[in-house]
Amino acid sequence: MTTLVRPRGLFIGLTLVCLLAIWLSLALGPVSLPLFDTLRAALRLIGVPLAPQGLEQAELILGQIRLPRTLLGLAVGGVLALSGVAMQGLFRNPLADPGLVGVSSGAALGAAIAIVGGSFFGGLPEWFGPYLLSVCAFLGGLGVTALVYRLGRRNGQTHVATMLLAGIALTALASSAVGLFTYLADDATLRTLTFWNLGSLNGASYARLWPLLIISIGVALWLPRRAKALNALLLGESEAGHLGINVERLKRELVFCTALGVGAAVAAAGMIGFVGLVVPHLVRLLAGPDHKVLLPASVLAGASLLLLADLVARLALAPAELPIGIVTAFIGAPFFLYLLLRGRA
Amino acid sequence: MRPKTRVAMLCAGLLLSHQAAAADLPQRWVSAGGALSEWVSALGGESKLVGVDTTSQHPESMQALPSIGYQRSLSAEGILSLRPDILIGTEEMGPPPVLAQVKAAKVNVELFSAQPDLPTLEKNVTHLGQLLGAQEEAAQLLQTYQQQLQAQEVRVAQVQTTRKAPDVLLLVGHAGGKPLIAGKDTAADWLLQQAGGHNLATHTGYKPFSVESLASLDPEVLVFADRALTGEAAKTALFKENPILNSSRAAKAGRVMELDPTLLVGGLGPRLPAALRTLTDGFYPAKGGQ
Repeated sequence: MTTLVRPRGLFIGLTLVCLLAIWLSLALGPVSLPLFDTLRAALRLIGVPLAPQGLEQAELILGQIRLPRTLLGLAVGGVLALSGVAMQGLFRNPLADPGLVGVSSGAALGAAIAIVGGSFFGGLPEWFGPYLLSVCAFLGGLGVTALVYRLGRRNGQTHVATMLLAGIALTALASSAVGLFTYLADDATLRTLTFWNLGSLNGASYARLWPLLIISIGVALWLPRRAKALNALLLGESEAGHLGINVERLKRELVFCTALGVGAAVAAAGMIGFVGLVVPHLVRLLAGPDHKVLLPASVLAGASLLLLADLVARLALAPAELPIGIVTAFIGAPFFLYLLLRGRA
Repeated sequence: MRPKTRVAMLCAGLLLSHQAAAADLPQRWVSAGGALSEWVSALGGESKLVGVDTTSQHPESMQALPSIGYQRSLSAEGILSLRPDILIGTEEMGPPPVLAQVKAAKVNVELFSAQPDLPTLEKNVTHLGQLLGAQEEAAQLLQTYQQQLQAQEVRVAQVQTTRKAPDVLLLVGHAGGKPLIAGKDTAADWLLQQAGGHNLATHTGYKPFSVESLASLDPEVLVFADRALTGEAAKTALFKENPILNSSRAAKAGRVMELDPTLLVGGLGPRLPAALRTLTDGFYPAKGGQ
């Protein structure tokens, strides 16, 4: 497979795109702020002592609304794309996505329980209420993934094919449970559930952001260290074993990182499809299958794509907002098709 | 201080404080609740609305206002871009972090209860009246509203002494297809009761029904609320999609009524008494009329 761009060019390009996306995400929104105010407010936020006169609104919008939202977009986009690479490497199949090990459907089930059954958790402390949905989604994703992993293990070995099938079965099971909750839901909770399933970066706050940031930075630092092992795994499991890779440990790490990362991302922003499947694919089409490039490049590409998609989501119908899941698929799918057809020609 | 000056200062003071009170009232309103928007409009505050959510569909002029999206998935920046002084909504409004962000931007966020009962409504409308500087109009509206509902109650009680409450089913559908039946604990059930009907459905919430159970229920009156179509088109679609309904007593006697589905969400609205009256008219037709 010939690559379209060299790794260095790719990294420079992606970094520039990502920086541009960050800047646009901070500078644009339904409230139009003068560029100069945005700049000064941004400087004040990073600690430059400027006079605060006339900057109250800009500072509030930048500091309390756009910055947490941008950070959330970066973390969610990066970690979803990274998990996509991990899963495609694990299953040695470019069509794999993080949903395969059940993390998405598990999170959806957790969310459905929290949204529809929320009123049954009567005895919860007041401060915990707003986090119930996120915690349930995270635990649901982790739980179902752990189950899928457990089902794939036999005699101390993880059978990837069994795991894949177990993932499909549990996804179906979780979906039907979500369906049951949908049936039980009243009108209002039903709409909440639907919107959650389309994902959104709306309403990002620092309290929800920190856990995700810590997890995603951890995953983003850890997974690229396993690039060599993932490259070896491309040759086959026994081949990788002969090359001195501890394949069992690698699989465990990949599943764990994916469950943790995707679980946290979904808990913070709801279901955002497409990024995990297509971003790694896109990067592979551009720069080839070497994981040393693929892993870090996917983080940048995923983060940029999500920020740009969010920009569309918040501007297209302003002052209302589109769910971001609609936008990611709408932007990404045609671009992906274009690359696919071009690659074939 | 001479008496004359004192009087002059008093006058000036009164004038200023009066102006201040008027200026303190929020001038730019965003409403995230269908019934609330209707009340604002009924209280003469429609010109102050600068944005409404997707559930605010009445009166029709609301649809020309900028939409801030669905009340449960509002966007902080979107709302702030309308530069509102106040955001009103029911406890369904959210998500909570967005409300916190809007509050942080010094917008007055006022929550109203969507509970469908008169004491709540009284509190809500009185509060809206204060915020709009239309206390008298609010009191008047409330009085008429209560009188209308009381008259409605008396009428139903009276007619039920001589006539049995008709068996009713209320169907909520989308262009006729797969209607949901309104059961207990819904605004629709409350509405039917107030209008003097007997809801045949005994489940809770809105649920889809199988053809068989529909056939076995056999209502005397059918009420349908269609989200996509209105009037004759909705009725035709309903019977075309659910031919089993043709064999019900309601269809044979032609006792099929339409209800605006927006009446079923967001608490008690100003159009409710009229809707109840129409329903009661249909439930208890004038003798000899058929």
